[in-house]
Amino acid sequence: MTPVLVVAVTVTAALLALAGIASTLAGRRIGLLHLGGAALLEVLLLVQAVLAVVLLVRGDRPADTPTFLGYLAGIVLLPVAGALWARSEPTRWAGTVLAVAAGTVGVMVWRLQQLWEATGG
Amino acid sequence: MAEATGDRPAEERPAAAGGPGRVLVAVYGVFALAAGARAAVQLSTRFTEAPVAYLLSALAAVVYVVATVALALGGRRTALVAITVELVGVLVVGTLSLLDPAAFPDETVWSAYGRGYLFIPLVLPVLGLLFLRRLARRQASSWPSGGADTTAG
Repeated sequence: MTPVLVVAVTVTAALLALAGIASTLAGRRIGLLHLGGAALLEVLLLVQAVLAVVLLVRGDRPADTPTFLGYLAGIVLLPVAGALWARSEPTRWAGTVLAVAAGTVGVMVWRLQQLWEATGG
Repeated sequence: MAEATGDRPAEERPAAAGGPGRVLVAVYGVFALAAGARAAVQLSTRFTEAPVAYLLSALAAVVYVVATVALALGGRRTALVAITVELVGVLVVGTLSLLDPAAFPDETVWSAYGRGYLFIPLVLPVLGLLFLRRLARRQASSWPSGGADTTAG
């Protein structure tokens, strides 16, 4: 759990959310830009998950480990679910669906960071 | 956040499982997941600390799951009931949690009107009810024989 990664995830998620909302406002379906953004977000989240698991195995334990693991597993699924769902939506609202997923990632990553910092010792 | 786009003018397509309804289902899905996961963790790891708050978390999770499924499949009456329960729940639990914080030692989704979740739990049922009303009106105007629930995947 490095702050750099958290910021990178937040920025990527925010840009993806903006791109999604923009395509809804423009009345367009999502394009390669959105799928690429979701893929980048997913890669960052997977790196973070691997890093967190390595730290957990080495003995760092957040105070609320079950919740931390729940967030860690859930957040990785979101860009995939959002992208798949948005692709199956043939209207301009596909972008907003993706934006909801991205916004959720942006919030969850900070909650994850909070949980990590509350170390149980 | 994304809910600001929910009030855009009506489209030509009949929207229950598509269009703006999808966005609503997406947000509901996120909350079903969030509330469900939170309740599962709370109930399984520290149920005895605050049984009432944790059972309310579980109730909230069930309501969100029912609302999500009903909205996704177009079960309008079920969605109406679930969303109404949700609105009452967030108002009652929100008020109680502020009046008597000791009764809610740990956060639930609905504590302080959903403050921990950017107040989305308070806004969501209102959007949901508005959406259902719009849907009912449109169906009433296009099918005079009555608005039977439509199922679409």
